[in-house]
Amino acid sequence: MDPALLVEWLVKSGVIIFLILTGFAYLTLFERRVLARIQVRIGPNRAGPLGLLQPLADGIKLLFKEEVIPDKADKVIFILAPVLTVIPAFVLLAVIPLGPEISILGRSYSLSLAGDVNVGVLYLLAVASISVYGIVLAGWSSNNKYALLGGLRSAAQMISYELVLGLAFIGPILLANSMSLKDIIQAQSRVWFIVLQPIGFLLFLVASIAEVNRAPFDMPEAEQELTAGYHVEYSGMKFALFFMAEYGKMIVVSFITASLFLGGYLGPFVDKLPLLGPIYLLVKVTLILFFMIWVRATWPRIRYDRLMALGWKVLLPIGLLNIIITAILVILVGGY
Amino acid sequence: MTENVEVPKELDATIQSMDNRFHDIVTLDDRKSYTGYLVPVENLIDFATSIRDDLGYDYLSSVTGVDYFPEEKMEVVYHAYKTSGGGALVFKVQIPREKPEVPSLISVFPGSDFQEREAWDLLGIRFSGHPNLTRILMWEGFEGHPLRKDWKEPFFEEEKKPYKNRWPEGGVYRIEDEVPMGKNVKYPLGFDPQKWTPEEQTTFKEDMDSEAGDNGSNGSAMHTDQIVVNLGPQHPSTHGVFRMVARLDGETVVDLYPEMGYLHRNHEKIGERNTYIMNMPYTDRLDYISSMSNNLGYALAVESLMGIKPPERTEYIRVMMVELTRIVSHLWSIGFLLNDLGAFFTPALYAINERELILDIFEATAGSRMMCNYLRFGGISRDLPDGILETVRELVNERLPRKIDELDTYLTENEILRSRCIGVGVLSKEDAIAYSAAGPVLRASGVSYDVRRADPYSIYERFEFDVVVRYNGDVYDRYLVRMEEIRQSLRILHQVVRDIPEGEIQTGKALYQVRVPAGEAYGRVENPKGELGFYVVSNGKPNPWRYHIRAPSFINLTALGKMCKGEKVADVVAILGSIDIVLGETDR
Amino acid sequence: MPEDFLPIAVLIILATGLSFTILLLGQIFGPRRPNPRKGSPYESGMRPYGKGQRRVPIHYYLIAVLFILFDVEIIFILPWAVVLRDLGIFGLIEMGLFVAILLIGFVYAWKKGALEWD
Repeated sequence: MDPALLVEWLVKSGVIIFLILTGFAYLTLFERRVLARIQVRIGPNRAGPLGLLQPLADGIKLLFKEEVIPDKADKVIFILAPVLTVIPAFVLLAVIPLGPEISILGRSYSLSLAGDVNVGVLYLLAVASISVYGIVLAGWSSNNKYALLGGLRSAAQMISYELVLGLAFIGPILLANSMSLKDIIQAQSRVWFIVLQPIGFLLFLVASIAEVNRAPFDMPEAEQELTAGYHVEYSGMKFALFFMAEYGKMIVVSFITASLFLGGYLGPFVDKLPLLGPIYLLVKVTLILFFMIWVRATWPRIRYDRLMALGWKVLLPIGLLNIIITAILVILVGGY
Repeated sequence: MTENVEVPKELDATIQSMDNRFHDIVTLDDRKSYTGYLVPVENLIDFATSIRDDLGYDYLSSVTGVDYFPEEKMEVVYHAYKTSGGGALVFKVQIPREKPEVPSLISVFPGSDFQEREAWDLLGIRFSGHPNLTRILMWEGFEGHPLRKDWKEPFFEEEKKPYKNRWPEGGVYRIEDEVPMGKNVKYPLGFDPQKWTPEEQTTFKEDMDSEAGDNGSNGSAMHTDQIVVNLGPQHPSTHGVFRMVARLDGETVVDLYPEMGYLHRNHEKIGERNTYIMNMPYTDRLDYISSMSNNLGYALAVESLMGIKPPERTEYIRVMMVELTRIVSHLWSIGFLLNDLGAFFTPALYAINERELILDIFEATAGSRMMCNYLRFGGISRDLPDGILETVRELVNERLPRKIDELDTYLTENEILRSRCIGVGVLSKEDAIAYSAAGPVLRASGVSYDVRRADPYSIYERFEFDVVVRYNGDVYDRYLVRMEEIRQSLRILHQVVRDIPEGEIQTGKALYQVRVPAGEAYGRVENPKGELGFYVVSNGKPNPWRYHIRAPSFINLTALGKMCKGEKVADVVAILGSIDIVLGETDR
Repeated sequence: MPEDFLPIAVLIILATGLSFTILLLGQIFGPRRPNPRKGSPYESGMRPYGKGQRRVPIHYYLIAVLFILFDVEIIFILPWAVVLRDLGIFGLIEMGLFVAILLIGFVYAWKKGALEWD
């Protein structure tokens, strides 16, 4: 194996982890500031200019907190659960191209860790499912009723919406003829898939918000009835890991949405100036994240049974129908 | 009632028929300044059934006891009303102090449930036939019944003196520094508070004993466990330290039982040690969202005892303050109902934004934003400052109607709100009356009953406003009732700021020590949360002999278990939010 | 091409290492003063009744079973979607049949009330 290749991988992995970590930190600040503005408040602005050091202060505070492990908890699982939840959030980004190929010193680098994987979408689906384990195990091992209920709720919710998510993935695959995210993005060079797959996009948006347990689908953490759901017994850095997983997944899901439906890194002049690619992508991701925060600030929570009914009785049939119609159109029209 | 309060004609007729019907058994309470009938203990249930079914007194407002220590007897006082309106039918039962036992009225008026438990807890009156006569506000390990006149609070209370001088040597020292806790509590013999753990909830005892929980879900052969879950006291959405024990089958509530008393400070005991005027700031702390209305209820009761009426201008100012308070409380309630439904504070903060403007007015007038302590007997503490009337005018004529419409637009037709609220927590009309529900909870169930209309106090009969009624009795209707009541309050306020006269603000001289003749009085007002009643008994001394509060958020909770049965666990929070309790008032 | 996944393995190793490092940091810096009250499970400030781990309502299990059914379906649809243009009408009809069979099962589950929460 080429050692240069290993170095490249290490650097790229480091960049991805850095991206998720800082993204997580500043997404919390971004969310708090945006929420505050929407709610006629100011939000955190004391730590550093514009409150920019707030995430750091929060991190340091959590670092010095006591980590309580309940006496009757299943200790090994209890400690492993947050790790199991957070790893998928880091790993998912591997197959997403952050920009077109760029060449430095005569060598061309692709701006993704494993963007060439030909089953990129399958990889996303598979890895995203893993975090359900973390949440269920956290709920189970805490030996706490709220946590148990929260864990169960989220398990049922996440797997239900995973179906919808999977169905929404199929539209772009049909159009791009490939499961590689690189090909899917390239296929959108003429027209973004949000135009060709509007229903698929909406399905994906709803399902992905449900998948990352954000309002109005934040059932597992329903503060009002289950106090905090599956992570009620977690404190200190273990709690931070759950938090990181949630926000990390939010970021990743936004990246996926942008790549599947909004043309990923594509935009004007990208072929001439490849470094514009990541910037376009970040702008799109920020817009999607803003939308998620906006939704959280606006809507009450949907009740659990209605949430499940929505997933199974409305979104799932629509998803199937969408695939069938897309497939027929693809066959009839051929290319687009 | 005192002589200057006229007896309505309708009540007169009732009294006539009462005299005929119960001629042999019922006697008129002929003590000076007392009203009502004395019913023998053995006829109580018959009498209650009869007044409910034959005379139409279907709404039992208040149940309480009085300890007439010098006469060696106890008295249980009932206030019944007609939901069609009109004055009270007061009936009383006198029992010996040694063995106070009264048949429970829970079979006739289910709404007496918590009130009878409270009377047992604080006064030691035993209600035979009550299914669950346990302490409700005090803790189970407590010794004695604190509202009995021979019960003295250890350390602080001694014979003869209402309370001990805290600095007998002249130097100020605070006893709290010496005994942070403990010495003012008397424990039963052989009791170690360090080792004591509370008894487990008796209501669901059988479930806890059979942990296997062999109650197959929905009668099917498949076997799942039902979970007994505590919601509260340390829970983010119980609006304070309130506790609900719920048995869940998956997400569905099979049974739910409210438990309160975590914020209990024995308000009534404090009230009986204080002088009359000293209680005024204490009433602020009942429903701390709407202190002005609490003041009014208490002032009405004492003024009725004293036989005075405030001057015209004061009446207008009082109505203005009370209606502003109603808007404050309803805004708060609507905002936090949305919060309970899972909206992340946005509606609540927009509602609070308007509330702040009203609190500014309170601050300018009373000097305090929440604990206003504004009303006095026969008056108010000070006149309106210059220019505040213009602020109120601008607010009620311009800004608030606009903002209420704005809230209405964004919230009322919201799909999620509707789907979460419609058909949830239904309380039927019959149940609402039987459970003595009050305020928006009662009116959302189709009972057009508003004390301001049914039994007008202050100057409410001069104003034009509608009693808001909705008929489905669910969370959504309670929300709608509150929304509409804000508009009606604005309507009243509009008339108040138009008509408010100049003039005196105090009848007679403002006194620190008021002279209250012996007698009893029941002052009730339509508080934002429901009917708030003050039952005050005076024996001519500087402090009230009995000071009882009919707390709407306490009594509305009687129906909570019924409303929640069969609903989802997420709805419990919404239902509780729609009842709109304030723990300061619930636990007193 | 398994070697395509090697970089992902590198990332997984790094991410796992980082997660455990974070946990370790918390252990190092955080105080540790356990007591029985702290160690008892949180139940709104009351002593909890019974076990925290118990048999769960059958409904969650039903949802899980249904999920497996449909997840497998999606796994089948994914490769089909990639090669649909090569398969043409034949692929369309084949998948139509496949989805129809599953839909019958879905309708059956719906009618049986497996999707209801009461």
